[in-house]
Amino acid sequence: MNSRKLTALVKKELTHYFSSFMGYVVLFAYFLIGGYFYYLIAIGGRQASMQGVFQNLVVILLFVTPAITMRLWSEEEKSGTAELLKTSPLTVWEIIVGKYLGVCAFFAVALLPTFVYAAFIIANGNPDLPPLLANYLGYILAAMAFFAVGLLASTFTENQIIAAIIAFALLLLLWVIGAAGGSVEGPLGDFLKYLSVFEHTNDFFSGVIDLGNVFYFASVVFLGLFFSVKVLESKRS
Amino acid sequence: MIEVKDLVKTYGALAAVDRVTFSVPNGAILGLLGPNGAGKTTTMRILTTSLAPTAGKAVVSGFDVVEQPQEVRKKIGYLPETPPIYGDMTVINYLKFVAEIKEIPQDKKANRVGEVLEMLALEDMSRRLISHLSLGYRQRVGLAQALLHDPDVLILDEPTRGLDPKQILEIRKLIKSLSGKRTIILSTHILPEVSSTCDDVVIIDRGRVVAADSVENLSQRLSGGKTLEVEVKGPANDVEKALEKVEGVSAVKSLGGGTRGLCRFEVTTDGGNDSREALFQCVVRNKWVLYQLTPLGMSLEDVFLKLTTKETAA
Repeated sequence: MNSRKLTALVKKELTHYFSSFMGYVVLFAYFLIGGYFYYLIAIGGRQASMQGVFQNLVVILLFVTPAITMRLWSEEEKSGTAELLKTSPLTVWEIIVGKYLGVCAFFAVALLPTFVYAAFIIANGNPDLPPLLANYLGYILAAMAFFAVGLLASTFTENQIIAAIIAFALLLLLWVIGAAGGSVEGPLGDFLKYLSVFEHTNDFFSGVIDLGNVFYFASVVFLGLFFSVKVLESKRS
Repeated sequence: MIEVKDLVKTYGALAAVDRVTFSVPNGAILGLLGPNGAGKTTTMRILTTSLAPTAGKAVVSGFDVVEQPQEVRKKIGYLPETPPIYGDMTVINYLKFVAEIKEIPQDKKANRVGEVLEMLALEDMSRRLISHLSLGYRQRVGLAQALLHDPDVLILDEPTRGLDPKQILEIRKLIKSLSGKRTIILSTHILPEVSSTCDDVVIIDRGRVVAADSVENLSQRLSGGKTLEVEVKGPANDVEKALEKVEGVSAVKSLGGGTRGLCRFEVTTDGGNDSREALFQCVVRNKWVLYQLTPLGMSLEDVFLKLTTKETAA
């Protein structure tokens, strides 16, 4: 992996987000919703914690992710720019990781207002910092896992709408699979529960950093990127 | 140097490219000619490592497209069918991005971008959004992208598509000026493009090479004997009969009478005989007047149609 090329790819992705109406709509909606939850929970509910805010934002993210990841590869394929990337001295991993970091960088911007909320809470309440960090980590890791799934969906098709639907279906599956696990007895039920995203975010949101949970999200990210690479490679042959 | 040997690309039962073999020497321009859907783009995508071949071998600048794709990518500049441009970037930012992913050294980047902008007369457009440019300018930005890292090999898929006649001439001139140092393959279905730009031509149809030669050889070889257009002032029937009797003439076809007692014929002669003198004498002997005696080469267009429609007609 060449950092110069990766930087260029990430910058390019950010250009796309910030030159499109979509990018601003998503950001604006996200700021608005985040602010609303914050107002309701932290100010209205007088809780010196970000837990409730992030718990709700993760659900919102489930809906927002397809909108921001659908274009990642589909658009390149549709507009013919995929040919430029594929015939430049870039490896498929570089292309995929560049795109992935690009969407993560965009998300980092969406994260900015939450720092203001956190600062308010720290200034006015007296929260324990480790749980606050755990909340943040849970939220960020969940987002990163979602984006990897969305990116994978985008490699399947040059149609952005279809990519969005596939991403949403996959994410929904990762969400409800825990409920399915609850109704199945034995190890299969446990396994299904293990696959569920919310099984792993809950610990973070109650303030606990568990390495097993970190491992779960890292695995989702890795598998998402790995299969994205495989899909692109298979398209070449 | 580009060498392609028995290249095959199949999609299910369909062979998009079927045992295609050709080579392009260093510094030459090869025209890849064929009707739409003949396999031109597929061949080019294999050469540029965008697509893997099902079988066969392709070597670009000494590197195998399957074994050493990264090396090949460093050597080639590729303009695909649709220019690979991002509408939401300005021309200059786009070229800077391309410079990064094509590994142009940091200290040469600005210089090189400037050179290419000048070469394609894009300086005035450099701060514009690509989506605001006309088709012709977009095509030029696509070409700029292909030239940016000064590649040894250029692969251009219909480089003059969407351009107006003046721009077409400019781009052809540019392509010609780029050869010599570089090896170029360009595809087209516009025939004059090949005869005006290329040294060699490969005609492909339904995935197969139907002819490969230099542009001149090909039109000569395919015309068989020599054909002349003869225009004579005289009685059409008598003239036709007299011309048929001239030595070396194998066929005379009337092209219809003109005005003022003129009649035109297409006269085919065998092999290498030059019958022009005999034809002239024949006309003079009969006290007619010779208005025209023009050798007709077979145009590339005729060759193309002859080669690519042969099978359908049978």
